Amino acid sequence: MKPQSAFEREPARRVFASELRETRYQFKDGEDEKSPTYVILPTGIRSNRIFIAGTLTEKQRQGDQNIFYRGRVVDPTGTFFIMAGSYQPEAMQQLARIEPPAFVAVVGKPNLYTTPDGNCLVSVRVESVAVVDRETRDLWVLDTARETLDRLDAFGTTDDSRKAQEEYGTQPDVYKKIVYDALTQVQL
Amino acid sequence: MNLSEVTERISRKLEAKGAQPDRQKIESRLRRLVEEFGVHVDEAERTVTADLAREHNVTGVGSTSTELRPIHEIVPGEWVTIEGKIVALTPPVSPSIAQTGIIADSSGAMRFVTWARANAPAMEYGHWYRLESAVVDEYKGAPNLKIHSGTTIARMEKDAPLLPSITPIAELKPGVGSVRAKFIQEWDASHDRMLQTGLLGDETGTIKFVIWKEEGAGSSGTSPAAPKEPLGKDKLELDAVYNIFYATVDEYNGRLSLALNTAMYIADEGDIEVGRTETEIRGALVHVAPGSGLIKRCPVEGCNRTLSRQNYCPVHEIQPEFRYDLRLKAVLDDGVRARNVLMQREVVEALTGITLEEAVQIAETNPLGMDEIFYRIRNTVLGRYYTCSGNEFGGRLLVNACTPIVFQPEELAALLNRAGGEPA
Repeated sequence: MKPQSAFEREPARRVFASELRETRYQFKDGEDEKSPTYVILPTGIRSNRIFIAGTLTEKQRQGDQNIFYRGRVVDPTGTFFIMAGSYQPEAMQQLARIEPPAFVAVVGKPNLYTTPDGNCLVSVRVESVAVVDRETRDLWVLDTARETLDRLDAFGTTDDSRKAQEEYGTQPDVYKKIVYDALTQVQL
Repeated sequence: MNLSEVTERISRKLEAKGAQPDRQKIESRLRRLVEEFGVHVDEAERTVTADLAREHNVTGVGSTSTELRPIHEIVPGEWVTIEGKIVALTPPVSPSIAQTGIIADSSGAMRFVTWARANAPAMEYGHWYRLESAVVDEYKGAPNLKIHSGTTIARMEKDAPLLPSITPIAELKPGVGSVRAKFIQEWDASHDRMLQTGLLGDETGTIKFVIWKEEGAGSSGTSPAAPKEPLGKDKLELDAVYNIFYATVDEYNGRLSLALNTAMYIADEGDIEVGRTETEIRGALVHVAPGSGLIKRCPVEGCNRTLSRQNYCPVHEIQPEFRYDLRLKAVLDDGVRARNVLMQREVVEALTGITLEEAVQIAETNPLGMDEIFYRIRNTVLGRYYTCSGNEFGGRLLVNACTPIVFQPEELAALLNRAGGEPA
């Protein structure tokens, strides 16, 4: 029998909003009820946790019995939809304290939803959120640009990126352009 | 594995003991276990062999051969015959165990256990024995030799000197290991039964070690120089280099440590340039774990455990005279790997700008108490980018220094170039 390997925390992938918005493919790694669920990002990597930074532009409290908060976090390429419900009380309370607009950093799990009219929506279930400064937001843009370019460099050589090619027909140049445009919005 | 092959092997084992097993019966039993019940083939083989041995009234079935095997080649699941020298005896941890210790030959060493039910003759320290039909299984991630009622033990009139081979620390595996290492750091004993603990290092890395206090005199003899007067182990001297033979390598949560109670150690000449590889990692701080912030520690000498909110120490119970401490347990994530980091008071103070004294004062005057410190620290560090350097230890980086990453315009320019455009 193989000795059980020590638990390894899933890394938080860096992804721009416009890439996450295109994400459609979700799968479960293993048969178990507790097996992790991943999405395949169009640039070719599996992810069950992401790290994003941007501007919280809007925040809404919803629900009566089951209170939850929704918010919009904007990065140079688009908008992330984030939510925190009563199953994540810490995250929900953190989000409740933040008044938009504010720079925030969010760690969370990407989730796919299909609306009744067949549209696919990606939202981020918040694990933690904190107010940060502009410099951290800029560092995140650089970090995310670097990680995205790294994924594009490896595109076609990994199983996950072949899967992404199959599911999305990813055109690496499109994402290079997105990265470039995002970087040009960082002020020197 | 082919079932008929297994059948063949089982029947040959039984025939070797004079039984006349029915091959079809063996195969159908195997098939039933493997195919209907999804039992693993190895396990099915063991079960069927044991069943048939019982039915045919034979004992000692199992050993595929009586061929002598070198210890380092043996893997769990095998029945073996070995010849080795008893290089350590340790006090049995349970009444169902008659003897435990380490047996070694020139190829290697392995822990063994003799079950009380085996009624085996006690083996003596420093003598050679031939063990037939012992079985090897895995215990705490390391191969372990079991001496059971079917094992034959014969003392040998042999006294070949054994020179254990030294393993670099980075290559140690659970089981038994011999190292040449320098005692580089002494830690406070965290347990009453601990005589000494700290860090040993050689060129390839470092490892924690423990010497336990030996209970009562005369229970076991582990010091080879004086096997008949076991007065407990000697302490190591800081900064000295030792040859440590036959230490027990334990694994806990994926991290190895050496227990020297089974070992003989002798100070050696010379010095070692310890490979203290300081690791540096960069990333975003994505999680602040519970147990961070202001904590209370047990004041008992050498304990230092974290107390619960009710000032309860798992060992020393209620300790109202606790002392406060600051620490941060967090996850630093570079997008590819998430790593646990642990920062002690000085690092946390520098990082958050809150000193221990201030933290205590805030906690004592704020309605949220110690939680307030947790929240303040979390809000200061969560989501920020840091470079942490320190020593990696058991899957956790013990941080010596932590600095915020600052924005570098050159980096932006380089990335713009990489993304395929002219720098803005």
